[in-house]
Amino acid sequence: MSAPDLAVAAAGDADAATLTRVLATLETVILGKPAQIRLCLACLLARGHLLIEDVPGVGKTTLAHALAHVLGLSWQRVQFTSDLLPSDIIGVSVFDRASQQFHFRRGPIFTQLLLADEVNRASPRTQSALLEAMEERQVSADGTTYVLPEPFFVVATQNPHEQLGTFGLPESQLDRFLMRVVLGYPDAAHERELLRGGDRRELLAGIAPVLSTAGVLVVQRAVREVYVADALLDYAQALIVRTRAAADLKLGLSPRAGQGLIRAAQAWSFLAGRRSVLPEDLQAVLPSVVAHRLERRDPAEHAGDTDVAAEIIRAVPIP
Amino acid sequence: MSGAPAVPAPDLAALRPLLWTCAAFAGGVLLHADRVPPWAAAVALLLVGWRLLTAYRGGADPGVAARAVLALALVAIVLARFHTLNGLAAGTTLLLLMAGLKLLETRGARDQVVMVAAGLFLLLAACLDRQDLARAPLYGLQAWLSCAALAVIAAPATSARAAMSLAGRALLLAVPLALLLFVFFPRLPGAFWAIPRNDLALSGLSDTMTPGSIGKLATSYDAAFRVQFLGPIPPPQERYWRGPVLHEFDGQTWRRNAFDLRAPVPRVHVGTAYRYRVQLEASRQRWWFALDTPVGAPDARARLTYDDQLMGADPLNDPVSFDALSYTHTAVMQPLEPAAQHQDTALPASRNPRTHALAASLRERAGSDAAYVQAVLGYLRDGGFVYSLEPERLGPDAIDDFLFRTRVGFCGHYASAFVVLMRAAGVPSRVVTGYLGGEWIPFGDYFLVRQADAHAWAEVWLVGHGWTRVDPTAVVAPERLQRGIIDLLPQELPVRARLLHASPWLMQLLQRWDAANAWWTNHVVRFDYDSQLDVLARLGIRSPDARYLGWAFMLALCGWLALIAWHLRRAMAPLRPDPLARAYARLCRKLARIVPRAPHQGPLDFAAALIARHPQAQAAVLPLLTRYAELRYGPPPERAEREIEEFSRDVGRLSLARTVRDR
Repeated sequence: MSAPDLAVAAAGDADAATLTRVLATLETVILGKPAQIRLCLACLLARGHLLIEDVPGVGKTTLAHALAHVLGLSWQRVQFTSDLLPSDIIGVSVFDRASQQFHFRRGPIFTQLLLADEVNRASPRTQSALLEAMEERQVSADGTTYVLPEPFFVVATQNPHEQLGTFGLPESQLDRFLMRVVLGYPDAAHERELLRGGDRRELLAGIAPVLSTAGVLVVQRAVREVYVADALLDYAQALIVRTRAAADLKLGLSPRAGQGLIRAAQAWSFLAGRRSVLPEDLQAVLPSVVAHRLERRDPAEHAGDTDVAAEIIRAVPIP
Repeated sequence: MSGAPAVPAPDLAALRPLLWTCAAFAGGVLLHADRVPPWAAAVALLLVGWRLLTAYRGGADPGVAARAVLALALVAIVLARFHTLNGLAAGTTLLLLMAGLKLLETRGARDQVVMVAAGLFLLLAACLDRQDLARAPLYGLQAWLSCAALAVIAAPATSARAAMSLAGRALLLAVPLALLLFVFFPRLPGAFWAIPRNDLALSGLSDTMTPGSIGKLATSYDAAFRVQFLGPIPPPQERYWRGPVLHEFDGQTWRRNAFDLRAPVPRVHVGTAYRYRVQLEASRQRWWFALDTPVGAPDARARLTYDDQLMGADPLNDPVSFDALSYTHTAVMQPLEPAAQHQDTALPASRNPRTHALAASLRERAGSDAAYVQAVLGYLRDGGFVYSLEPERLGPDAIDDFLFRTRVGFCGHYASAFVVLMRAAGVPSRVVTGYLGGEWIPFGDYFLVRQADAHAWAEVWLVGHGWTRVDPTAVVAPERLQRGIIDLLPQELPVRARLLHASPWLMQLLQRWDAANAWWTNHVVRFDYDSQLDVLARLGIRSPDARYLGWAFMLALCGWLALIAWHLRRAMAPLRPDPLARAYARLCRKLARIVPRAPHQGPLDFAAALIARHPQAQAAVLPLLTRYAELRYGPPPERAEREIEEFSRDVGRLSLARTVRDR
């Protein structure tokens, strides 16, 4: 959606300017994907976890890195493999001889932004350990509960699950990601620029954080303040109902997905500098919010037209 | 119902559906309470009580074997009583009892629905049985109660009031459809659904008469028929309604002669022609009463006998209506047939010797038959005869006994004695029974003839005149011609009728009620195929027949369904859009001439699309669309109504012509 920045009202001027800078910085690292970058940022500002899905080598990991950098968050990266254990992520209790006690050694999950690379290559057991932590925002080990830092994001990347050596995430766990963003190949001009320039990761080193932990929290709070009118809820409900009533979809949107949809639309609206959510905002985030949640009953029949979201949007008039 | 000590406390709320079911069924039973044998109604109500008691006390219902035995026993009793299971009375009794038994095995909602259906079927049977206006409200109540019971069964938490209101509304909604079906559903002539009903006891004239038999009728307040004159109305002394003509006399009882198909004697009609419409009540007899003397049969359903009496082809099991033409004065020119002469002068030889003697002496003194008639009338007038409904019993020589001993009698006595006197002198004569007079009902412009107006008079054959009506009662009690028996002999009436009669106000009410009843019978109960064709004709169809009826029925039904569909659509449609939505819709309509808005397009997307196509429209359109977005999706402003008004006004002012001309 290319909603023009027709600001209804300039929301939190300073924040808007800062966010514009965040976006601009990210765009220097990931070339030619402003819409996707915006979606990813909106996802994080809506306190949602992000799933980036694409074939290897299109810059998924780089994008995750860049996000952590620019937002000024601490981050950890875990490369998921089939032999990765839950304790490799969460941490493990080790016996400390000096104190004669077990001591919990925190795993990489104790960070603000966890980059779970190729999450679908880990075994289901490990996946579910991570996904539980995502939902609860805390982990339990040996009877003790450890609260994860604030903010806490998981940016997971996954290869399309048709590839070898992958365990597809079940629907229940996919539902915990607020958005799934597909990057796709760059267009010709940006491809050439990529080819000409060196490794994008080197650029990351030179990027100064635009926000800080406190800044992110402030923006997150502000996002939740974005006004949602009854008329908009009507529209959101109509969209959700349509996904449930559609005969060709396996499952409709869950109430959690509905909540996420509104949050994401709030974030999108905030990024656009508005103080209230418009139907356009819902439409902008809907494809990424529903992409991993809705599946056609008969994919073969609709081979080629994959855009379930666009179909739903077209089918539901704005009340 | 074993006295188990630990009976759980009954859950009254859970019993409600059963309670309503029982009420609906009991309502159906009560509709028939006075028609079925009393024990059957009592058993059905007992079964209802039994079921409620077991439900309340938590006892066990009777087992399968007990129910089977009970069912067989009841069927046997019904068979023994009616000798059939067919017909309305036997069928209703059986349904009553079997449904009562079914009540004993009702467990769930499904069984209860079956019971309510039984109650409704009893209602249907009641409708087949009796269609009086007075019962219509009862039927309505039963339908209402049954529907409410269904509502409670469907949702046991429904309060009585809510259930009744729901059922009432449902029935009211069904009324138009019911009316449509009533008017247009093709009614095949000849009611094939008519159920044989030989259990009806109806009062009325029969084909025999003993001198006292009419007196029994005189206290009956029931309607015999109603007459509406289509032109002139005959004076009171000529309102004789001709019924069975009796020829044979055995000294005690008058009878019709054996079946006779002779054609009527041609008559010369004199004076005023009276055209009128008669609505006969069901009588289970074949007599059709018409003003004395009718001219020919009114239609194919009846014929005119040789003694000028209308005889229906079938007994009157249902009310019937016919148009007839009568003259009150007639003459017959040709001589009396020998057979008739013989028949109408016959008397049992050994009976009533004093009467014979009296006749001989009177005839001797009179010069002619006509003079003799006058002499006999004079004898009756001056002989100290008294008109009374309660004469003494007469001995074996009834006429002698009456003429010379009691001298107290009723029209039957006088007609009987007069005809015997005539025949004793060789003058052909016969007894005619029927009705005399009738009550004028001003509210419906018709005469109501009651059973109490039953009358008997005589006809004598006078040469040159033919059959001539002579009413000997008229000389004894001349006022009988002017007034009904009810006025004449009020002390003879049952107390109820007398009380009614005493108050003019009540009398008027009664007349109004009869008028309403007549209307109901005419327009509702007897609304038949012909009436349907009349309706069609009034709707402007020139030659209506069943085909048109079918079309009208389909059309009316489709119309009604369309009405429901429209109503449902309206009920399901979103609420009327608010002013803001209306203004926005108006704006979009205006802008649609440049770029139409897709239904799923938000206001800002729409603005972007517009501006992309018509950049010059930006200044005019963009502020409006952003304002709409703010008003619709933004936090409500302090003076929202006013802002919406202003927005609406600005939408009105937007002139596209100007905007586009800028190009």
